[in-house]
Amino acid sequence: MAVEAIELFIHRQGAKPRVAVAGPHEILREVLVRAEVLIEGQEELLVFVGECEEALEEPGEIENGEDGHVAVDLSLTIEALELHRHRHVHVHRCKRVAVEVHFNGDTKRHRFSPATTIAVVTQWARKKFKLDPAAGAEYVLQICDTTTQPRPSEHLGELVEPLVCAICFKLVKEITPQG
Amino acid sequence: MDKPDQRLFEADLASAQFRAGAQKGYWGLPGTDLLPEQPAWPLRILWVAAAPRSEAPNRFYLQLDLADYRTASPTGTFWDLKTGTMLEAAKRPKGRNGSRVAKVFRMDWEEGKAFYHPYDRVAAKGHPKWATEQPSLIWDSNHTIVDYLEEIHPLLNSGDYIGL
Repeated sequence: MAVEAIELFIHRQGAKPRVAVAGPHEILREVLVRAEVLIEGQEELLVFVGECEEALEEPGEIENGEDGHVAVDLSLTIEALELHRHRHVHVHRCKRVAVEVHFNGDTKRHRFSPATTIAVVTQWARKKFKLDPAAGAEYVLQICDTTTQPRPSEHLGELVEPLVCAICFKLVKEITPQG
Repeated sequence: MDKPDQRLFEADLASAQFRAGAQKGYWGLPGTDLLPEQPAWPLRILWVAAAPRSEAPNRFYLQLDLADYRTASPTGTFWDLKTGTMLEAAKRPKGRNGSRVAKVFRMDWEEGKAFYHPYDRVAAKGHPKWATEQPSLIWDSNHTIVDYLEEIHPLLNSGDYIGL
């Protein structure tokens, strides 16, 4: 069946995502240049597609694990990259984002793909710290030394500072409104 | 001509953050088969998907008052599209006793006309202490409808959401 033009969600470091519309036979590089995310002749950036959930499959005993998410070849078409299924495109300088999460005096680390959502990192952290699934639902990530709790749909690649490929979180209990 | 707050809201509906959530089936605007016309601005009706629970629908509708949008936060509650009124207690989503879900969706405060959450304009106004108790949830003009929906959607998909 023919694939129609689709909406893509393009994510960059330290910027809000944007929408681009692309046809199935367009080359990804051309779509990103048209969206002004890539500039011809610019130093090569890494491009990942989809949303990476590999960390959720990591066995509990693994420490300092790393995702295997591979950057794509920009000369491929939207159709060849199956972007009608993946939808999300991440343009980044970092191959991985080194994450550390602190909770209850303990620290867990993992090197995530920049295409990982906060929802996935949160789920990974709750599992790593062996929180009961029911009680653990009220625990969320807060960026260290701030009061910022990123939204579940934000990607690690959007949160890290330019030229920095690491971020630190605390796992905190959401406060139930009172009073 | 649309008002500035309305134009800003409509621009946010076209944003990647809103569109990506809609594409995943997390939220959206009701189709014209269900709602031929949206109410007059500043009111808007949206839906939010809910985890499957026995006898409960897979989405709930919200009617939000978006006056002075972005400068002021939304306020609103669950809505019955069929009757055009606030959703009655028996049809509203419930949370496990004492949970955040139960608190935010409570009906024993303001008769359930607003969500008991710091992002809700009515609730925030009545609880000035929340700004210091929950500094991560202070609404400002950098926030959008997606921030609001990303608070409601996880509650309706939490293990503490028990259905009707």
